[in-house]
Amino acid sequence: MKRTARIAILISMVCAFLVLGNVQGQQQQYPVATRTLKNGMKVLVQTDHSIPNVALYIFYRIGSRNERPGTTGISHFFEHMMFNGAKKYGPGDLDKVMESNGGSNNAYTTRDVTVYQDWFPKSTMELIFDMEADRIRDLSFDPQKIKSEREVVASERRLSVDNENNGVLDEQLWATSYIAHPYQWPVVGWMSDIEHWTMEDLKHHFAMGYAPNNATMVVVGDVSAEEVFQLCEKYIEPIPSHALPPPVTTVEPEQLGERRVIVHKESELPLLMLGYHVPKTNNPDFYALNILRVILFRGESSRMYQRLVDKDQIALDVTSMVQPAFDPLMIEVIAQPKQGVDPQACEKAIYEELEKTKSAAVSDTELQKAKNIRLVEFYRQMQTINERANTIGTYEVFFGDYRQLFDVAKNYSAVTKEDVQRVAQLYFGANNRTVATLIPDSGEKAPQ
Amino acid sequence: MGRRPLPVMAMVSLVSFLSGTASADTLRLPPHEKMVLKNGLTLLVMEKRGVPLVNIFAIVKTGAAADPPGEEGLAAAAAGLLRKGSKNRTAQQFAADLDYIGGTFEADSGADFTGIAEEFLTKDAAKGLELFAEALMHPMFPPDEVEKFLAQALDGVRAEKDDPRSVMLPYFNGYLYGTHPYGRPAGGDEISLKKVGRDAVAHFYQSYYAPGNTIVAVAGDFDAAEMKNRLEDVLGGWPAQAVKSGAIPPAPIVKGKRLLVVDKPDSTQTYFAIGNTGIAENDPDRVAVRVVNTVFGGSFTSELNEALRVEAGYSYGAESFFDERKVAGPFAIFSFTKNETTTPAIDLTLQVLDKLHKEGLSAKQLASAKSYLKGQFPPEIETSRQLAQIIAAHEFYGLGDDEVNDFEARVDAVTPEMAKQTIAKHFPAENLVFVLIGKGASIGPAVQKYAPKQDSRKISDPGFWPAP
Repeated sequence: MKRTARIAILISMVCAFLVLGNVQGQQQQYPVATRTLKNGMKVLVQTDHSIPNVALYIFYRIGSRNERPGTTGISHFFEHMMFNGAKKYGPGDLDKVMESNGGSNNAYTTRDVTVYQDWFPKSTMELIFDMEADRIRDLSFDPQKIKSEREVVASERRLSVDNENNGVLDEQLWATSYIAHPYQWPVVGWMSDIEHWTMEDLKHHFAMGYAPNNATMVVVGDVSAEEVFQLCEKYIEPIPSHALPPPVTTVEPEQLGERRVIVHKESELPLLMLGYHVPKTNNPDFYALNILRVILFRGESSRMYQRLVDKDQIALDVTSMVQPAFDPLMIEVIAQPKQGVDPQACEKAIYEELEKTKSAAVSDTELQKAKNIRLVEFYRQMQTINERANTIGTYEVFFGDYRQLFDVAKNYSAVTKEDVQRVAQLYFGANNRTVATLIPDSGEKAPQ
Repeated sequence: MGRRPLPVMAMVSLVSFLSGTASADTLRLPPHEKMVLKNGLTLLVMEKRGVPLVNIFAIVKTGAAADPPGEEGLAAAAAGLLRKGSKNRTAQQFAADLDYIGGTFEADSGADFTGIAEEFLTKDAAKGLELFAEALMHPMFPPDEVEKFLAQALDGVRAEKDDPRSVMLPYFNGYLYGTHPYGRPAGGDEISLKKVGRDAVAHFYQSYYAPGNTIVAVAGDFDAAEMKNRLEDVLGGWPAQAVKSGAIPPAPIVKGKRLLVVDKPDSTQTYFAIGNTGIAENDPDRVAVRVVNTVFGGSFTSELNEALRVEAGYSYGAESFFDERKVAGPFAIFSFTKNETTTPAIDLTLQVLDKLHKEGLSAKQLASAKSYLKGQFPPEIETSRQLAQIIAAHEFYGLGDDEVNDFEARVDAVTPEMAKQTIAKHFPAENLVFVLIGKGASIGPAVQKYAPKQDSRKISDPGFWPAP
């Protein structure tokens, strides 16, 4: 990344196509070494000596889409249980040993994956492998720990959903937008499920999701691929593979008309969220949709900001959001109306702006701006060993090949104005949308 | 859904992020140069090869502490409006030019200073610097943009009140510091923002934005000599001007106990903060404080998180932090729990604090905290954005590169005796300020046992504290 990137800067001033040379040069400068272990776990390593630390990610292909009614949220609960003791390292030991050796950890769960993250000085790496292997192979299920962790997760739910307008409304949006597919329930789970899942449910979930052949490991930092592969052979490879989770066969049927949901809640301000169904992450329209989202939502020059925040002055902000997913998912649009503004006024303005992208092509300047923004975003993701581990893993897991990451500039370059107009027409229709509105019950005083 | 809550400190503005910095491993700060231009502006330039990005972090050495009483939010409004109309560009043109190069530009004021951050690709340095200089040196504060900005800031406060976690600090700081500048909300409130006007914003800018009152730090993938020339070109013409200095008065420790309940009737949990004034950025005990706080409430295996989350299951998380500032900033313990376990959770928190004073740190805890701080430090000085912020803040607070370069040695040098003294001196015991946000009817009279002085207000009441 050091010297080659600078040479490439001069090139990238010439034209956007050559910027691609830069990105690919970076791939050559920091190559990713890969190996698939005998038990089926794929390991990706990128060496970077800029700081004496390592970021290690393990992606398990299991999330709330692999759950069923009654046990919603169990993937996320399990993410917590993975820190509560195994055979060699008992309850609390993993955190204590890790921190006392200069390391830290975290984890996250989405609808599709559960991801474990370790950040540590390079001298601690073997210890980290020992602990990771211990919990993948021999997790323990202590009833006392399950009891207290249930309370912790209930608290997390109260924090991020029940007492947070965005959390409440987002949950209702997904529950309304999906009628068949498991994306309909929240990752954290319904409160009654959090309170009721059993020891058997947990054991079943571990057996289903935590096969080494269901996981991908990414290691980025001050280590050689050889060191990592040797540790994998010693600690991870002996763990036997087993059956993968059963495939999720339910396909969300095409939405045939607008769906609406209203939440009444004590609140200072109303809130508006829209959801539009789009294909799974790994699909050819991915890049055109991301370009369209930039033109509409990113930065203060974006169409939505200019219209709703700057010109009409009816919203504090308008954003859009989409997560990587294995199955067809939703692009979410979130608008924070100002106090006293009817959320429907925001809805109307958003629809009008969407219509403009359908009826006429975006400008050359907007298209180029969106491509530039996506390129800078790529560089931002390459800045830290942590972000790189997450990004490489995300591309490997959701696109099936990490090398797609190094093609992003090329793929965004290829998007045309016609592509942008086509995806706007294809996905942003009234029949394909779900509208969720939070109406303040009280606290709202000054009508506008 | 993740395993750990976002620390409450991470929810405050970019300006406050700085306090968490310092600390080091065997790593050293990359070489950088300081120069003072003829007009008095301090330039810091750090060449750091890597991804082709440039980061600027500028500090105007006046922040929200200079807001006239009753006009809180003024400094932040001046900062936020820098990009909203200037000599050569309307707000819309600035946004279009910035977005076209994929750049980011943020400006905000904390109590101590105003921070302006910009990021752009190396190849776009000319445009990036032009935009930066224009916003810093030539804002016009068009009346319609000022009006829009203030209306949005006002609703921004209301939106924050819908998430108790994001307003805990303004309530806590207000209740702790009262009329001291650190007690006033840097972002303003529903009352003060109505009193701020265009003339006051322009006057604030004219009074404090001057080269002699400004530090500009630039770090990233560029040739240092070339960057210095460019910076001199764009900033050297900013005319020198005298600026009135306003020292922030000392912030003494609050004596006794007092408790504020902020009623949010629909809340299903109680958010609580407990603390007192802490330490200044340049406090000689700052490294020992960081070591002790790592054990007390600054890590996942800390005493607080172990007790409240791991053992009792009362909460998704419990933490403590020192917000180090020009003069003693706040120290706070923060957690949250369902309505029913409000008093058991606070009781347990006070027991953990009591235990810290009675038993101190074990040798094992001390060793663990040292390893943790040293091992987690390198990622804090990894990006040019972080480095620009760190060198600018060091310059502002009068600290040197040794903050980073000697950090490992300083951490290693913390003895059990130093830890003991640090606990006695900097962690409150009997003098405590409590702020609870939650359902008042459910919190009820049970919390009266914590403090002889009690106050209460509704979250929908305009302002934070003191009550208007």
